Amino acid sequence: MYKILVVDDEESIRFLYQEELTDEGYEVITAESGYRLVERIEEEGPDLVILDIKLAGYDGLDLLQEIRSRYYDLPVILCSAYEVFKRDIKTIAADAYVVKSSDLTQLKEMVRRALEGRTSLERGSDEDGGGV
Amino acid sequence: MALHEENPSKVKRADIVVGIPSYNEAQTISHPTTQADLGLLQFFGDKSSVIINCDNNSPDGTKEAFLNTPTKTPKIYLSTPSGVRGKGNNLIELFAKVNELGAHACIIIDADLKSITPRWIRNLGEPLFMDFGFVAPLYVRHKYDGTITNNIAYPFIRSLYGRRVRQPIGGEFGISGEIVRIYLEREFWNNEISQFGIDIWMTTLAIAHDIPICQSYMGRPKIHRPKDPGADLGPMFEQVVGTIFNMMIPYEPYWRKIRWSKPTAVFGFGLGEMELPPSVEVDQEGLYQRFLQGVAQFQTVWKKVLAPEVFAKLMEVTELVREHLDFPTQLWAHILFDYAIAYQRFKGDKKMLLDSLIPLYFGRVCSFVQRTDRMSIQEAEEYIDGQCLVFEEARPYLDERWGKGGGEDV
Repeated sequence: MYKILVVDDEESIRFLYQEELTDEGYEVITAESGYRLVERIEEEGPDLVILDIKLAGYDGLDLLQEIRSRYYDLPVILCSAYEVFKRDIKTIAADAYVVKSSDLTQLKEMVRRALEGRTSLERGSDEDGGGV
Repeated sequence: MALHEENPSKVKRADIVVGIPSYNEAQTISHPTTQADLGLLQFFGDKSSVIINCDNNSPDGTKEAFLNTPTKTPKIYLSTPSGVRGKGNNLIELFAKVNELGAHACIIIDADLKSITPRWIRNLGEPLFMDFGFVAPLYVRHKYDGTITNNIAYPFIRSLYGRRVRQPIGGEFGISGEIVRIYLEREFWNNEISQFGIDIWMTTLAIAHDIPICQSYMGRPKIHRPKDPGADLGPMFEQVVGTIFNMMIPYEPYWRKIRWSKPTAVFGFGLGEMELPPSVEVDQEGLYQRFLQGVAQFQTVWKKVLAPEVFAKLMEVTELVREHLDFPTQLWAHILFDYAIAYQRFKGDKKMLLDSLIPLYFGRVCSFVQRTDRMSIQEAEEYIDGQCLVFEEARPYLDERWGKGGGEDV
């Protein structure tokens, strides 16, 4: 079962994502801030991170950079109530950018794609090193 | 060993090399050489370094302009044998020298770069001393600069190999000594790769050999000789697109496993305010007219290359007047996939096949220009990202048809 870490400072969002993604068959853990986020990832070993951009006291885009510097291939989906952050060039390091909504169809689809991509790359590496 | 080498400082070992490929760049090469020197001194002062100009025996005095540029870093001039041209040939000479010097890192920069700063050297080189083996540049370009990148190379490579490398043919790269040795084996080397196909070949090999890739933010836009996408296409189109199509054949086992793309790590943010690139003027009417000329010239080829439903949709597009020209991204993706399939099967002159794709590319670029006309650079970037998703969603079209043929024999 894939493990997803949801990082958001709004309790209602954490609750919503946890409920909906658990129903989809994922194991969901949550964090309310970016404090020691990389250490948390180290300890919990999630397969995917859903990361809010405007976290109290933290910038999600800086956290994304921190994650990427340690975890080259860990899928990260950025979530924000605002579309405007998508134009920040730093978002290029994320697997996907989703505008928050009570309808989680797009988020679920992006989670599925990111984990599918992870599976295919891992399979490629296992079978033949991914080369010719 | 190159036919001609001048190594006035008798450099025998180096930790880091900056390579500048050139042909007739006497007017421009001094600036990137100076910036490379400053970057090496400022950010890699504890390492031994050398700047190498790998040239094509330029008759305009490129060698003298390079060697006479004052630098503290030693310089080496290499040239391919007389009459041998092509950026790929230059870079193979460079790679052999990098290997001979035992360098850990090699940074490649274009000789006509006007906007390079010492930080470019740091940002292309530093990740190579971390865990990365291939560093691609990430810079702001005008929305109409790099139309082959935006409409073919980036979406195609991203959807095919599953890695988001925004500038796969950017011209600036950082590469490790390890991947230099892979390049020296010259897998699938051909005439296109020995010229402008070299950049996409390097990027594809890095992805397919699972070399850790990073994109590095350059901070300033790429400013080089401006090019109108309609006026300056030249042989670059067939060399880049031909190389992409060619490499799909041996790397089929790799890309068959890919479904969705993944981002790459990014290095070098926090370089201050974003500087806007100079605008690129596009002759939209010229693009449209060359698209229409292609209808008369290549319609019979298109009918054979494209699947019937794709050809029918294309014919609808050809009936639109310029002001309403809309060349849908999904149609464009299907056209490129059909051409890739035809290229694989085609036994005749592949240059001729690629020639028939050029008017379609002009039509597509004309439509892209119209759609993004009022967009800011950032908005156009979002639009390009959306196009890439359409390419990824269209991948099953390619997967189902590859190997089975598609359309008729050309």
